[in-house]
Amino acid sequence: MSINKQQQGIRRTLVIGSLLVLAGLVPAGISFGSELLDYQRFSEAVETASAEAEAKGGAWPQLNGVCTPCHGADGNTINQLYPRLAGQPAAYLNAQLNAFASSKRPNPTMSSLAINLSPAEIEQLSAFFAAQAAEPNSTFEPDPQQRALGEQLSDVGNCAACHGAQLQGQGTFSRLAGQGYDYLVKQLQDFKTGARQDASGVMLPITVQLSEQDIASLATYLASLQGAVNAK
Amino acid sequence: MKPADEEHPARSGGALLSRRGFLGAAGAVAVAAVPGAVVLASADARADSSGDASADASGDVLDVAIIGAGLAGLTAARDLRRAGCESFVVLEARDRVGGRTLNHELGNGYVSEAGGQWIGPGQTAVADLARELEVATFDTYYTGETVFIAGDGRVAQDLQGTFGTDPKLAEQLDEMARGVPSGSPWKAARAAELDQLSVGDWLAKQNLSAEDRVGWDTTTMLSGGTLPAKMGLLHFLSMINSANSRYEQLDSIKDSAQETRFVGGSQILSQKMADALGDKVRLGTPVRRISDWDQAVVSLHTDQGLIRARRVIMAIQPALCNQIDFAPALPELRREMQRHWPAYAAGRKTAHVYSKPFWRDKGLNGMILQAHGPLLWAYDNSPPDGSMGVLNAFVTQSGLPSDPQQAEPMLSALFAQALGDEALHPLQFHDLDWSREPWTISCVSPIPPGFWTRYGGGLHPPVGQLIWSGTETADIWAGYMDGAVRSGHRAALQALHALRQIG
Repeated sequence: MSINKQQQGIRRTLVIGSLLVLAGLVPAGISFGSELLDYQRFSEAVETASAEAEAKGGAWPQLNGVCTPCHGADGNTINQLYPRLAGQPAAYLNAQLNAFASSKRPNPTMSSLAINLSPAEIEQLSAFFAAQAAEPNSTFEPDPQQRALGEQLSDVGNCAACHGAQLQGQGTFSRLAGQGYDYLVKQLQDFKTGARQDASGVMLPITVQLSEQDIASLATYLASLQGAVNAK
Repeated sequence: MKPADEEHPARSGGALLSRRGFLGAAGAVAVAAVPGAVVLASADARADSSGDASADASGDVLDVAIIGAGLAGLTAARDLRRAGCESFVVLEARDRVGGRTLNHELGNGYVSEAGGQWIGPGQTAVADLARELEVATFDTYYTGETVFIAGDGRVAQDLQGTFGTDPKLAEQLDEMARGVPSGSPWKAARAAELDQLSVGDWLAKQNLSAEDRVGWDTTTMLSGGTLPAKMGLLHFLSMINSANSRYEQLDSIKDSAQETRFVGGSQILSQKMADALGDKVRLGTPVRRISDWDQAVVSLHTDQGLIRARRVIMAIQPALCNQIDFAPALPELRREMQRHWPAYAAGRKTAHVYSKPFWRDKGLNGMILQAHGPLLWAYDNSPPDGSMGVLNAFVTQSGLPSDPQQAEPMLSALFAQALGDEALHPLQFHDLDWSREPWTISCVSPIPPGFWTRYGGGLHPPVGQLIWSGTETADIWAGYMDGAVRSGHRAALQALHALRQIG
């Protein structure tokens, strides 16, 4: 995308337009004026978003751009199929990227991505997403009954013991609060079948007792937790 | 509006494809030389080489088994038959043909492509195939203004069938691309130097404005499959080299790789080839394991039983090859190449259907580019007669919910900002996230810095009786539908030559 020559033309016009406004000589064409305003808004939006991205992730082009399509620029994807990375503990992200690279956690998409990252890049990405504020999972609409059942399961299973008092994640334990619903369901299923294994080995005995209904309830509860507190 | 999934059971899955014609099915290609080892088949194995593709069920041995019924595999199959070989079968994991090409049915015989869809100048292999199959072509619609949006701002501009890339930057890229062979970038004289850099490393030195940076983010995402920081410069140059070392021939519309569409949608090429091949094509037959690839007769272990063949054309991309269990293990370079092959560039493509292309009457061409948002690029994908309006869009997975009931209004609102409120009420909505398609995984291949010089040598050389095909292995237009067709032709030649040596 580039708005080159014509854009410069618009810019010149914009300057002239501003001068006219300052001089009290408002251009006659109102639609023309709104076009200028539109362009000004466009330009400001691009500049602002770029400045924000650079403030968070350093000079363009940012390495975290490789994660953006699925996980979102700041790790707050609004697609329930993909995990939200914002506010995950850096140690957890680091461990997962290494597990993908070694195929201890097999996943064709992530394994091929992680295996092409250097240790320094893994550090950098882990630190970046850990530092992003976790936003509420606002596109998820929980069923109240399921949510209540899920909360009970979470309490009984004592998820908080490892994942933190607000399930915000800690150390190598992931943040669960506000995570994508479909992603949570898939992970719980994978722990149950052994397709995914955690370092402590504790997820298998926990999930093996869960029915599909339990998994749906638990995922509903976790996905709807709106706590904005980041992991330490 | 009725969500598309109610009508189309195959609604969405996954992956993506980018604007140009990416893809055919998997991969193939061929390589240059033919296998060095001349293997003498045992007399009894030869004797059973009947033309009946079902012969394998009784323990017979086929001359050739082709894995993948996309453009590459079906082209190879078609060539084998034209050469007089009838002892072959095409094994397809899915319940359909076409690989990374897929038509959404819009009703009344109209379609919109969910996958690779365009061809352009220099893509002669796929153009010839279309002529032979009597598939007509027509121009992508680009008359009028393209709309750029960011935040609540909007700018409309007539870009004359381009994306408005700075010609000075394009010229510099063209100059570098001339020295990078499209099908084997690691053989470039400056390969070692160029492969250390990402496209982002190079662009960072070009004093780009914030708007231009967004433009390059979008460009490398759509064409290359990732953002500039991890897009290998050597690979990007090899793509430009495919386009006769003219960046504008790669990444524009007019006189470029997004210029031409197929009447009936791109998947029709595969459908026509498959129809002619009849029961040679076996759907729902994923190959899980390949054993004895280093022996005279290779065994393919599929969900539908064992198939044995003297040669195997692997018309699937390297990342999918990596899903197959090989016994014995593949040679190290090939194995590592597959393991590192980037499989994280799945596209997500949507289609909005309207009663007519209302934007055309406003002097707009339907193209929308959004900065810092879920919409990468929307474009007019209406049928040739413009009798209904179709807006296709490349969108991010992260920026729109997977639920079509949620995604459609969000995307429609962006279209309305750009084109007017008529956009708010589509008659149909289709959404395909190709990353959810296990038999695609990834659409284009965002080869990262350092990859080609380390693993490039593993891409082409046949291994035992395995011949590598698929668009990724093409000499020209690798990653595009044209490359898929080229790779299919070449793989068939390799297989025929190898069989001749046996005889």
